[in-house]
Amino acid sequence: MDRNYHIFSDGRIERSEDTVRLETIDGEKKHIPVEHAEAIYLHGQIDYNTRLMSFLNDHGVAVHVFGWNDRYAGSLMPERGQTSGRTVVEQVRAYDDPERRQTIAASFVRGSIHNMRTNVTYYNSRDYDLGRVLEDLDDAVSRIDSTKDISELMGVEATARRAYYRTFDTVLPDSFSFDSREYNPPPNPVNALISFGNSLVYANCVSAIRATALDPAISYLHEPGERRYSLSLDIADLFKPVLTDRLLFRLVNRRQISRDDFRNEVGSCLLNEAGRTTFLKEFEQTLERTVEHPELNRKVSYQYLLRLEAYKLKKHLLTGEPYEPFKRWW
Amino acid sequence: MSDGPVTRLLATARGDAVDDPFRVTGVMMQYYYVCERELWFESRNIEIDRENASVARGTRVDESSYGERTQENLRLGMISPDLLEDGRVVEVKPSSALTEPARMQLSYYLWYLDRVMDVQREGVLAHPTERRREEVSLDEDRREKVESAIRSIHAIVTAERPPEATEKPYCESCAYYDFCWV
Repeated sequence: MDRNYHIFSDGRIERSEDTVRLETIDGEKKHIPVEHAEAIYLHGQIDYNTRLMSFLNDHGVAVHVFGWNDRYAGSLMPERGQTSGRTVVEQVRAYDDPERRQTIAASFVRGSIHNMRTNVTYYNSRDYDLGRVLEDLDDAVSRIDSTKDISELMGVEATARRAYYRTFDTVLPDSFSFDSREYNPPPNPVNALISFGNSLVYANCVSAIRATALDPAISYLHEPGERRYSLSLDIADLFKPVLTDRLLFRLVNRRQISRDDFRNEVGSCLLNEAGRTTFLKEFEQTLERTVEHPELNRKVSYQYLLRLEAYKLKKHLLTGEPYEPFKRWW
Repeated sequence: MSDGPVTRLLATARGDAVDDPFRVTGVMMQYYYVCERELWFESRNIEIDRENASVARGTRVDESSYGERTQENLRLGMISPDLLEDGRVVEVKPSSALTEPARMQLSYYLWYLDRVMDVQREGVLAHPTERRREEVSLDEDRREKVESAIRSIHAIVTAERPPEATEKPYCESCAYYDFCWV
């Protein structure tokens, strides 16, 4: 699987011969090998032109833009693979059928809680007593099938996530107290890490979804957003425990990230340049990590698991074959 | 056995079935013999863009082995045979691994030319990388096989659901592999 490139500096990217060149505001030049790029992430103030966009389109490379406070601002997607009227029709049909929508949404919740549980189990077996959280998660799972509508299902998911987040204060050192999940803006370092990590998971899911001709705005658990790619939210929930949370625990507990990696402003806390660099490097390495896939009989990268999830959903929508959500199996 | 699908295909080819068309392309005929599930996907334009070595190879052999001549892309209604050589229809395949599907694709072209355009032709199946050629002609046996395949294809592509995935020796090199097996 191809890799992601992140640009934090301010400057300009352009097509240069048969590659992409970045020229930063202080005159530094770098090349981005387009053959091996899945997507380019722009975190700084970057100028670009249409010639670059056509070039990236030809190579199937997406661009994801992040704005103020690391918030996802939008994507420029290659044209290929994103036009299939039939796929969108089937997506809407499933959304419009309450029973089908409920089944798909329940799968997302079941998968999400399973993946939260895997993290809790891991730390429970390492000197922390998280038995109560495990019970709460199991209790939430047992309630999934009896939910009658999406809002009840959302309630189950929220309860599970609250229980799960209690793990964070147990597992993380006292200097990184979490308290509760808050965003817009994140009030403390742990929330800042979760926000940053989850926005990366989200953007990677947008890439995966767009590669399959699914419409990222038509979703099942989350309400189809007017402005957000809500299908990305559905799928990202499955992967946040695997991609963001485990990484966060590791980086903080091994002191690769310290309180010096954040900048505090009034009422908000964000990663600074050094902190983002550290987190991103490890995040990208996680995406490139591979695992033996039991059905495909080959190794696949964590990043490809996102793509497979979009394939699975698309297959379900188009063939009626059951959708089994991603559940960490290793 | 009802000959509805064959009649409908002929009517579509002649432009008489605008309201209820039934098209069979050469690729669909080939897929029918390779994998019925792939045929169902193809009929609904379900595209999977997994970077795929054998798909890429097929394209390259087409484009490189016969140079200029393939540039004249023959489109004859539903079919687009690779090229006509000395009045014969030539179908080019990268290897002889899946010979029967290729043979039937070519037979379908011959049948189509005969039934729709009233043009009788001989066919050649060519494997340029292996320097092998095989003559194919439309005898009674092949004619019946083509028509029976058309009937089955109709049943498959009009079905609500695709045929179940069944493991085949070449599954792993198929573009739909991940789609079928996850």
